Amino acid sequence: MEHGIVLKPEILGYFKGLPIANTLLVSWITMAVIIFLVFLATKKVRLVPNGMQSVFEVIVDFIYTTVEGLAGKKTQVFFPIVATFFLFILFSNWIGLLPGFGTVTYHKEPLLRSMNSDLNMTLALALTSAFLTHFFAIRYLGIIDYLKKWFTLNPIFLFVGLLELVGEFTKVVSLSFRLFGNIFAGEVVLATVSSIFAFIVPLPFYFLEIIVGFVQAAVFMMLTLVFMVLLSEKHAAEH
Amino acid sequence: MEILNQFGINPILLAAQIVNFVVLLLILKRFLYKPILKVLGERRQKIEDSLKNAEEIEKRLAETNEKIDDMMAKTSDDIQKMMNEANKQRAELLEETKVLAGKMHDDIIAKASEEAKVNASKLEQQIMTKVADIVALGMEKVTGKAMSTKDKKDIIEKEVRNLS
Repeated sequence: MEHGIVLKPEILGYFKGLPIANTLLVSWITMAVIIFLVFLATKKVRLVPNGMQSVFEVIVDFIYTTVEGLAGKKTQVFFPIVATFFLFILFSNWIGLLPGFGTVTYHKEPLLRSMNSDLNMTLALALTSAFLTHFFAIRYLGIIDYLKKWFTLNPIFLFVGLLELVGEFTKVVSLSFRLFGNIFAGEVVLATVSSIFAFIVPLPFYFLEIIVGFVQAAVFMMLTLVFMVLLSEKHAAEH
Repeated sequence: MEILNQFGINPILLAAQIVNFVVLLLILKRFLYKPILKVLGERRQKIEDSLKNAEEIEKRLAETNEKIDDMMAKTSDDIQKMMNEANKQRAELLEETKVLAGKMHDDIIAKASEEAKVNASKLEQQIMTKVADIVALGMEKVTGKAMSTKDKKDIIEKEVRNLS
């Protein structure tokens, strides 16, 4: 169980120079699961939904309504990105709780490891989120207005702008470390409790992790959405 | 950048995950969001239409009921009016018939008495003629001469005067 408390993801092998980390493998598995379920849900889309379609309808409708409330006219653009963040993180967190994670080994390394307990994965998501946020800001504001957010001739606002620029980097750090920290800590807790007594006792912690997995997905989604909306809006006129 | 090393940050892994995300985004956009949002929109439209239709139907029903009530009220009014009219007409007809009958009765009586009078005078005339003939015949037998018409007439008149 020492493996549970290693920050670095374990590299299982190399495929033409691409390191296959166990978290990357789980990332692919998660994608496969989501895509499989989605195909199941939308194989035959019907006006009267059944089975998987209703499940995904509830999720999509909930996210869409949330995004619509904040983004207004930009919903069509922001919604797919935000929803994908949510689904990807949610499914990977929950899949990471399944039996076999951390216990099945391959060349003495755990074969599977919860995706978001690797900073590579969360940082990649955070960077994507930040990149898209700034991309949309430039697209909606134009490059001039975008730059004006950070740099102005007024010395006070210039200082504020520089602070905010630093804040943009902090966003990436906070997004990635929040997700990583929560899931990694969960892994550690589960591994520790399981090593104390593997039956029944870890159950409450599993329930906790199910909630944490959902909450973290929702938080990542909401923060990305809020950043996107805020940054792609015109600065309020100086008063 | 020691911290990045401690966390095992690997640019290739980062890139791989970014690629994963983008691929997932594209697939979900095409196969999940588009069809689901479309069907949700369709359903919303359908529900809206149904509600509107239901409202319309209810409105129409209320209107129809009102119309029926109106018509019923009007019809019963009409029936009442017609009955009143019929009663009036019947009464009038009865009255008229009575008057006509009375008139006819009088007429018949008048006509009958007229006829009776005429018949009586005709009879009188005939009787007179007969009497005159008898008288003339008697006179002829007595006097032995035929009487002229003037004589006959004089005698008849005298006789009749006596008679009456």
